[in-house]
Amino acid sequence: MPDREPGARRIRVRGDAAVRILLFFVGLLLVGACTEQSNSVESESTTVVLKHSKLFGDPRPFERLLVQFERANPGVLVRAESLPAASDEQHQFYAINLAARSADFDVLALDVIWVAEFARAGWLRDVSHLLPEAQRNEFFHGPIEAVTWQGRLYALPWFMDAGVLYYRKDLLAKHQLAPPKTWDAMVQAARTIGERESGMHGFVWQGKQYEGLVCNALEYMWSNGGEVLRAGRVVLDGPSNRVALAFMRNLITSGVTPEFVSTLTEEPAREIFGRGSAVFLRNWPYAWQLFEQTGSAVRGKVGVSVLPHFPGQQSAATLGGWQLGVNRYTKHPQAAERLALYLASPAAQKALALAYGYNPPRRKLYQDKQLLAAQPFLAKLRAVYEHARPRPVTPHYVRLSQVLQAELSGALAGLKTPEQALADAQRDIEAILR
Amino acid sequence: MKREHSALFLAPAAITLGAVALFPVLSVLWLSLEQRSPLTDAARFIGLDNYARLLADTRFWNAFWNTTYFTVFSVTLELLLGLGMALLLARAFRGRALVYSLILLPWAIPTVVSARLWEWMYNADYGVLNYLLGTQINWLGSPAWALHAAILMDVWKATPFVALLLLAGLQTIPRELYQAAALDGASGWTVLRRITLPQLVPLMLVILIFRTIDAFRVFDAIYVLTGGGPANSTETLSIYAYKVLFQALEFGYGSALAVSVLVVVALLTIVYARLLRVRIA
Repeated sequence: MPDREPGARRIRVRGDAAVRILLFFVGLLLVGACTEQSNSVESESTTVVLKHSKLFGDPRPFERLLVQFERANPGVLVRAESLPAASDEQHQFYAINLAARSADFDVLALDVIWVAEFARAGWLRDVSHLLPEAQRNEFFHGPIEAVTWQGRLYALPWFMDAGVLYYRKDLLAKHQLAPPKTWDAMVQAARTIGERESGMHGFVWQGKQYEGLVCNALEYMWSNGGEVLRAGRVVLDGPSNRVALAFMRNLITSGVTPEFVSTLTEEPAREIFGRGSAVFLRNWPYAWQLFEQTGSAVRGKVGVSVLPHFPGQQSAATLGGWQLGVNRYTKHPQAAERLALYLASPAAQKALALAYGYNPPRRKLYQDKQLLAAQPFLAKLRAVYEHARPRPVTPHYVRLSQVLQAELSGALAGLKTPEQALADAQRDIEAILR
Repeated sequence: MKREHSALFLAPAAITLGAVALFPVLSVLWLSLEQRSPLTDAARFIGLDNYARLLADTRFWNAFWNTTYFTVFSVTLELLLGLGMALLLARAFRGRALVYSLILLPWAIPTVVSARLWEWMYNADYGVLNYLLGTQINWLGSPAWALHAAILMDVWKATPFVALLLLAGLQTIPRELYQAAALDGASGWTVLRRITLPQLVPLMLVILIFRTIDAFRVFDAIYVLTGGGPANSTETLSIYAYKVLFQALEFGYGSALAVSVLVVVALLTIVYARLLRVRIA
């Protein structure tokens, strides 16, 4: 019996200790809250936070750009923060923070397909006043269309890219063929070369079920006069699109495109062309540098042009790239708007183009002597960018894309006829937009 | 006094469990009864509407049957192959330690890494699988093959786990049973059928619970291999739920999808637990 007493006391002492530890942590939290508050009161200058995707290359030119802004705007400090690497994660990051009305960042870099969605959710400031109508012509049409929702601008185009056609100019010359203007001419050229050269795929592109497939398919549809949405109505299931999708399926059944295109994303497709195993490739402009670097099997043998089109129609290219929006919940709207405007200015876009190869959405820079001397490839992209078009601008783009990805994939695999796939996609998209 | 103390001591565990297990489950259940997305103006309670939509959703049923097919085939194969491996490994032979560690390798590699490895092996253009077989199969790009390719990878990965557990089970079977069987002159087949397998059944049921639950929730392996394509032919319930929850940000409907996985897994577990109890009794 006497043994138990001290034991019980010890337990009670430990219980008290636990309470004390708890109190200690609560105290810590309070102290933390207080210091945070006093910090924000003490600081006199405003800090504007810029969220952007990770830069590849030397960070200094970008930092210099931000320092220049700080100098021109006394009292404003800029902190640049990188987003997670994967596009899904970036989208989630923004959605979770903005849905919680976070003011932790002020200026945000946006993928071209998110602007309408974020604008509809009420997360972006209307920035129409930053870019008066008269100045919008300075940009290519595609990026402006992408940042416009219900007649208002919700972001400023920052840098862009779009789908292009790469071809083996050495092989075309060897077989006396001109770079193809139409899809049929491309198929003919691929066939001719395929018959005479061994081990060559005709045309590789991105056919895996993912966002890239939608980017590819839209280019066929648009270059046959088709569309997905027109004035808010779903016009997917139409004759032009049926022809376009049937053509894509034919590329596979005729052997111009290998069957395993249904597994290809950008990089595997680039790799096939890059080791000299394909005559034509659809990809984004980033691939050019890789083809032209020392040690590349196709160095000096690659030509680039706008994608082909169907007879009597216009070429089209799917627009990619990044835009600058201003957080609706920012505490420093003026400073944030100034930063966005500054980063989208011709000078900043030129600096980013020189340092990182970011393609500016401003037309005029494609005549800039210094820029063209540093990056001759830009001259070729201008024509492509004039034809660049945004994917359907709707707040529900992600859901719409998921439907398209599955249906297009089904049509390419031959599970469904193009007619059936388009009719099914039309029905599902109508249900989403309703 | 004593009672007070016991409550105090239980509190940390109860709070932790409540915070990390109960609260999230309940909140997903609640979410599944709402229409909630950052894109719609306000969260709205809609009762069982999400579940009604689920039952009418062909993409849900496609994902459900894909998942079921994947689970049935991969778990069956893993159990059969794992049993074979365990029986072989139970025999004493030279280099057994080396074989042990070698067969465990697939289980030790992180799923995403092994999925990348298999993606290369399955490559239709220059993959080693087509090279060895002398075929030109579009493993991951054709709706007829893709799900089977995923099953093969899962079998490769999980069979060692099954084999190892069964091997441990084999060691626990009393030697006397085998000695008695030998005295009675039982054949190897009879010993396997009458002694080894019946003795392993409870363990097999436990393994089945683990593997079935795991297989039914499959996400990372298939997401890396195919992303759910082609034509949604490898879209499992978890992948569908991910795309709805984290890409389309439909938190309500996505939660309903997640709950559907939970319900199926719970039902399966109950069935297995019943069988297990019957066995033990």
